[in-house]
Amino acid sequence: MTRFLTREAAIRWAPLLVLIALVILFTAINPDFFAQRNFARIAIAAAPALMVAIGVTFIIVMGSIDLSMEGAVSLTAVLFCFAFLWLGGTLAAGGWLAIPLALIVGGLIGLINGLVHVKLRIPSFMASLAMGFVGTGAAVLITGGDIVRIEDDTFRALLTWRIAGFPLMVYVVVILAFLAWFIQNHTTLGRNFYAVGGGEELAHASGLNVRRVRITGFVLAGVFYAIAGMLQVAKLGQAESVTGANFMFISITSVVVGGVALWGGIGGVWNTVVGVLIVNVINNGMVVIGLPDYVQDGMLGLLVILAVVLSTDRRNISFVK
Amino acid sequence: MDIQRLKPHFPWITLLVLVIFVGLNDPNFLKPANLLSLAGDIVPLFIMALGLTFAIYIGGIDLSAQSMANMITVVASVYLASLGIWVALLCVAIGFALGMLSGFITTRLFVPSFISTLAVGGLCFSMAQWLSGNRALNMDAAERDALFGWMIGRTGIIPNELFLAVALLAICLFIERRTTLGRALKAVGAGELAAAASGVNVARFKMLAFAISGALAAVAGLLFAVKLSGGAPTIANGFLLPAIVAVLVGGTPLTGGVGGVLNTAIGTLIVAVIRASMLYFGVEATQQQMVFGLVLIAAIALTMDRSKLRTVK
Repeated sequence: MTRFLTREAAIRWAPLLVLIALVILFTAINPDFFAQRNFARIAIAAAPALMVAIGVTFIIVMGSIDLSMEGAVSLTAVLFCFAFLWLGGTLAAGGWLAIPLALIVGGLIGLINGLVHVKLRIPSFMASLAMGFVGTGAAVLITGGDIVRIEDDTFRALLTWRIAGFPLMVYVVVILAFLAWFIQNHTTLGRNFYAVGGGEELAHASGLNVRRVRITGFVLAGVFYAIAGMLQVAKLGQAESVTGANFMFISITSVVVGGVALWGGIGGVWNTVVGVLIVNVINNGMVVIGLPDYVQDGMLGLLVILAVVLSTDRRNISFVK
Repeated sequence: MDIQRLKPHFPWITLLVLVIFVGLNDPNFLKPANLLSLAGDIVPLFIMALGLTFAIYIGGIDLSAQSMANMITVVASVYLASLGIWVALLCVAIGFALGMLSGFITTRLFVPSFISTLAVGGLCFSMAQWLSGNRALNMDAAERDALFGWMIGRTGIIPNELFLAVALLAICLFIERRTTLGRALKAVGAGELAAAASGVNVARFKMLAFAISGALAAVAGLLFAVKLSGGAPTIANGFLLPAIVAVLVGGTPLTGGVGGVLNTAIGTLIVAVIRASMLYFGVEATQQQMVFGLVLIAAIALTMDRSKLRTVK
């Protein structure tokens, strides 16, 4: 029992301690790291990634996995840009309509993911991986390989308008993180994610419509990917078929490093927030202390393995695939 | 006619139907020279798919295959000058070792294979960027032709790649059908717990399966580097999806246990014909990824043995 308690405590607090240790470490090596400007830089890099990671958190809590984020982010970003330009090219002139539109598209991508996974009974990692490829393909198809630019100052204010040194998008992301936390802790849907993740058969036996919960989870994740897509557009001022590239690796790493267990039921939005910060602090810190940026993917690879190993209770597992 | 009895024959029937269908629309397609060059072009993909077959056969997946091939193109380009022909051995050894590492992480540390291979893929990508300095590298053409020229080019009308492909297929078929390793892998794929209970050293054989997958991905990378006479950290991107599709449409389901390398040979040919037919019917290259994504979903849905999964996560 004591071991169980320490384990719980470790999973809850270890990621945060790691984050603090990293900040101290990088600051010790190069004091420039601990500066408001640099923190703003980390926050901007982390903002879209956090939205993707929160989306996939809901899925991982259910014990499934969603690998469609690269395609979903690219496709929603591209469609958002096209809709934005078509509706007038400025937020005020009607471009704001593109925002709900992108959210709906994201939800639809998630819906298809969920339906393919649940109705065709295909393991989620493969169903979503395939859908991700389709999404990227669709983004290539729509753009023809070109870049779509948005030059609306009002929309770009998400990046350019700073309050207390941090751009607007950071505050938007913080609010959305609270929203995600609210969904997770204070709605039936959020609790149902944990019920499914904690024990699918038990949840089913208690009368929960597990399939519907799963599909809804994927829809919710898709909506968050769409938000990430729009933030990417706000950040870069453009969208193309590779806008979502690399989000898969980064977001899964972040979620797992934050302490959300891959087999479901453990961890949540706050773990993911910490995980995203850890990953981005490492990425930023390695540059600040002068390490070449190509080390990052390898580091993240080691980190994710370490995190899964540390968070796995090996006495309860007979084999993994 | 029972559909379950027909199921093992679906792959080659699909292939035949596709070939006839495209052939009827474009008679040039059926010319032996065209068919052979089509088959020759798909060989790097085939070799990667051949390796993936082992990972999927035991119910796992190897998502690092593409990054592995990427890295090997760089390794081959960098070390060709100093190591000569031995660079091939180095490539295969690296692939084998990193595949072994994926297997070790999966079996001993209980990390699901799609995560462990994704992570090892990240390592490969870092190493490729480091080795190449993030540039596209070129091989010395004369040296390449002298040492690896036999891999490419033609004998008569037959592309030389095909000999390599057939040789590797024969080796893999031998491993699968005639060795303890092959039988053990089948046992693991058919039912891991039962295999462990009957005294099979499951972990060791699974590690070997991932190692073979890594080694063959390395061979694919080497061949690709020779074909293009160079390497870069992202040069083989776009291989992973069709390679997985090739394994699955060939009839080795994600759940493992049935199918095998011969199925993958047929699956790869199906991929080749689908690709060629897309060109003939004016589907742009940019849309191929979408088509293959959808084919992948269909192939998984049709081949998977759902009785093996209590709950589909």
